[in-house]
Amino acid sequence: MMKDWFLLLRWSWRDLRKYWVKVVAIALVIGIGTGAYAGMTSMTNWRRDSNNASVALLNMYDMRFELAGDSFVPRGDLESAVASIPSSGSVVAAEERLVRSIQVDASTDDATILVPGLIVGRDLAAGGPTINTWHVEAGTGLAAADAGQPLVMLEYSFLMHNDLPSSGEVVVSGGQVLTYTGGATTPEFFMVVPENTTSFAQGTYAGVFASLETAQGLAGLEDVVNDLVVTITDDADRGVITDEIEDAISALGVGVDVTLKEDDPSYRVLFEDVENDAENMTVFAVLIFGGAVLGAFNLITRLSEAQRREIGIAMALGVKPLRIALRPLLVGAQIALLGVVFGVGVGVLIGNMMRDLMISFIPLPIWETDFQWSLFFWVAVIGFVVPFLAAAYPVWRAVRVKPIEAIRTGHLAARGGGLAPLLKRIPLPGNTFAQLPLRNLLRAPRRAVLTTLGIAAVMAVLVGFLGSIDSFVGAINRGGDAIKGDSPDRLVVSLETVLPVDAPGVAAIDNADSVGRTQPILQLGMRAAGDQDLNLLVEILDLDNDLWQPGVVAGTIEDSGTGIILAEAAAEDLGVDVGESLLLTHPRRTGPTTFGFAQSDVTVVAIHNNPLRFAAYMDDAALDLANAVGLANVVYAEPAPGSTPEDVQRELFSLDAVGSVVTASASADDLDELIGQFVGVLQGIAFFVLLLAVLMAFNSASIGFEERQREHATMFAYGVRVRKALRMAIVENTIIGIVATAMGLVAGVGMIWWVVNVSAAETMPDIGLVVEMSPTTLVTVIVLGVAAVAFAPVFTVRRMRRMDLPGTLRVME
Amino acid sequence: MIELHEVSKTFGNGVPIVALADVDLRVDAGEFVVVLGPSGSGKTTLLNMIGALDNPSTGSISVGGVDISEASRRELFDFRRATVSFIFQSFNIFPGLTAAENVQFGADAADREDVDPAEVLDSVGLGDRVDQFPHELSGGEQQRVAIARALATGNPVILADEPTGELDFTTGVQILQLLQQQAADGKAVLVVTHNREISRIADRVVELSSGRIVSDGPPAEGKARLEDLHW
Ligand SMILES: Nc1ncnc2c1ncn2[C@@H]1O[C@H](COP(=O)(O)OP(=O)(O)OP(=O)(O)O)[C@@H](O)[C@H]1O
Ligand SMILES: [Mg+2]
Repeated sequence: MMKDWFLLLRWSWRDLRKYWVKVVAIALVIGIGTGAYAGMTSMTNWRRDSNNASVALLNMYDMRFELAGDSFVPRGDLESAVASIPSSGSVVAAEERLVRSIQVDASTDDATILVPGLIVGRDLAAGGPTINTWHVEAGTGLAAADAGQPLVMLEYSFLMHNDLPSSGEVVVSGGQVLTYTGGATTPEFFMVVPENTTSFAQGTYAGVFASLETAQGLAGLEDVVNDLVVTITDDADRGVITDEIEDAISALGVGVDVTLKEDDPSYRVLFEDVENDAENMTVFAVLIFGGAVLGAFNLITRLSEAQRREIGIAMALGVKPLRIALRPLLVGAQIALLGVVFGVGVGVLIGNMMRDLMISFIPLPIWETDFQWSLFFWVAVIGFVVPFLAAAYPVWRAVRVKPIEAIRTGHLAARGGGLAPLLKRIPLPGNTFAQLPLRNLLRAPRRAVLTTLGIAAVMAVLVGFLGSIDSFVGAINRGGDAIKGDSPDRLVVSLETVLPVDAPGVAAIDNADSVGRTQPILQLGMRAAGDQDLNLLVEILDLDNDLWQPGVVAGTIEDSGTGIILAEAAAEDLGVDVGESLLLTHPRRTGPTTFGFAQSDVTVVAIHNNPLRFAAYMDDAALDLANAVGLANVVYAEPAPGSTPEDVQRELFSLDAVGSVVTASASADDLDELIGQFVGVLQGIAFFVLLLAVLMAFNSASIGFEERQREHATMFAYGVRVRKALRMAIVENTIIGIVATAMGLVAGVGMIWWVVNVSAAETMPDIGLVVEMSPTTLVTVIVLGVAAVAFAPVFTVRRMRRMDLPGTLRVME
Repeated sequence: MIELHEVSKTFGNGVPIVALADVDLRVDAGEFVVVLGPSGSGKTTLLNMIGALDNPSTGSISVGGVDISEASRRELFDFRRATVSFIFQSFNIFPGLTAAENVQFGADAADREDVDPAEVLDSVGLGDRVDQFPHELSGGEQQRVAIARALATGNPVILADEPTGELDFTTGVQILQLLQQQAADGKAVLVVTHNREISRIADRVVELSSGRIVSDGPPAEGKARLEDLHW
């Protein structure tokens, strides 16, 4: 009995020595598949955990109350209002703030950084703030003694994105110079999402954190506040308390806007982003995983199929099936073990790669990136089970047939069966050398199909990955081009308030030395009713102006009257075509600078070429609708000849009427940078996918070589050259490569379609994405799918050359 | 046609196994030679040397004017394609090709275009098995496909390793006749067997024992006619 076991062990040791390259390579396939899944899913778990931990650490508000418009109340009134409500016992804390829009000049010697932003003044007394606290990431924080001093902190990711030092000076609207002592994060800025942008604005929107007194001083407002953040006990009824506080504040004679924690733009995007990414990642991860499992199953099956004949012999000798299965299963076990080791390695690698990106991208104070034990455990279980099943399958098949068949069908799966008889009827061109590759494929259709599917799945992931990147990049490029139009260098000058176009403030812009042509614009938020109601940011401008007009892809902007020009995505979502009319709810001026709302039917006259869904344009003939003829709140300004956009930014920044000055292409550039980072990670993952495809092709070729070893030896004995045998193997693999790549392309385009039309349509509704695939992607995929698979047999040339012909031919079938 | 000069072949490191020792042999075109010897005496090894599947440890071999012990890899491939054809002890026909296609392969390998596989198969008595795959054929039938494949090459040297091992008497005789006919047509034919009876029909019997040629000449009891064989 013992001796039997020793024999078995020695035998499988020989198996291992014979197969070790393949064992390692197949284990790597499993490792990449399971690791990619584990790594990508780890990221999702980490982000959820980190978000929750960070929001908790910085004690984010449960609700926020903003006074409407330009209203203020004396300091202490809001806190008193809270103290006066019936449920005040359920309020844990309430803190007043002064929150104001602000312009920030953080220019350095290298770069002009003139951006809009938000200053948030907090009470620093008694160790405050305690709600929505600041987490100092660089430099030093503010102390109670700093109250009223020209000292602030800047939002950390703004520093990072602009490569600013951890302390320094900035100039804010009004020319005041402030010293910033450090960079901090806070929940409202975990994601920087200012109103009316879809982009992540880390670099172009400055959070300025100051003492209440400092903020008041900058605003020229003595001892007032306009904002309140509140935390309540866990068991409190938030709705009731919110209503009570709202009433109490309204009783002060001011309007108030309430924001619940989940509706906070930063919070919402922070958490939504995780789920959206998770959804996309899961699709890719599952596909990589599935492709790898399919591939590994196929390879291992083929590996243990090689023992089928030996199984037959063992059965004929009356050995019990379980004993028979042991040897192939041992090979399976070796692959499984190694696969799990590789899987953990790859998982950690991919996880780290994505974590580093995320950390650089979202400045959370806490990143909880613990090793995901349970996730890895389950992935490892699957990674372990698959090789076993794959190894057991051929044994199971072999044990079921009569021993004589297992022996007789003989060497490997080398039978004439399969679909080969089909070909008997179909005359193929060429001699036997030309026919053999197809024959070989058809006589083992199951194997060919499995191999093809495995490679196709991997190719699909690759196409899906690269194509999704292409689609995003494509939209950004189209957006950039659309915005730049005929005036690529123009700047968008936002005015502090709505002004008559002939006001001195507007004239001052036109007269600035660095400014060439200008074009006043009235930018208004509107709401369009349709299949789905949409918020639009409508720019009303003279469509005959010679500076810039939107590019049109359908309809015409000639004589558009009060008509509107929509983005394609908007027209689609609203369910309107060019020529049809649309109900708009739009601002209508009621006093010198005050607006109420009105409704008008307007005609959709054209579709513009900007993929941003909310972008819309109307001719200045439509100013009547808003009762705003002759008014503007934005000016397009082109640099004068010899001036740079930076010159314009500097000069206009000092004008009183000017709010912010940004280049028209700034938002496109922002997105560009953002996508650039993601592309980096996606390419990192794509690398693993490539590796997977190459490994599978290599394994397949290598096992194929062994399966055909005897046939090759016979050919060589008949004087067929190695080159010719190689060519046949290449032809055979080329067929697999072409079919797999074609399938992969189709499935991959399906994935891009899904990402673009289902996933992104939901998660990024404001970007009109279309399925795009760059020539680079197409070439990469085809070269990889066809060429790598086709030429994988080249790796077997050395073994063909060094083949022991007499030995191979001698072995009796 | 075939000339071996002091050819030895030793296998293995450690304890060397001498498969062939100082073999001198000359076979002319048109000769039908049977190589006789017990199992393990080196018959297959000898054939492998002549067919350039393996190279001798010492000595020189020249076949059809080519010194294959000195030839390059490339020349060896050419040699195998144009000069010898093998009939293996273990068939080695392609399981993915039908009988006819296996034969066609032989012709294709030797770049011959005027071969009708069905005809060749007919000559080995398999005229009705043309479209069968190997796994649908009996051992003997597979062996005959292997023979037909070798014949289809039309090469001047035929090396047959136990071609009748799997065959019944009648078929075996037919095959031998066929091979003898090839010799009569001017080819050099070497047939390996351990069956002394078969050796009786040869012009010449080379007997091997432990890798050495122990006798070389006409059959001991004189050349017999096929009809007189019993086995
Ligand atoms: N690759 C090898 N390594 C070691 N020994 C070998 C090798 N090939 C053959 N031999 C040995 O060489 C000797 C001759 O073998 P060969 O195959 O030529 O015998 P044979 O006469 O054809 O026998 P049979 O009639 O059984 O086919 C045998 O003892 C065999 O064990
Ligand atoms: Mg032999």
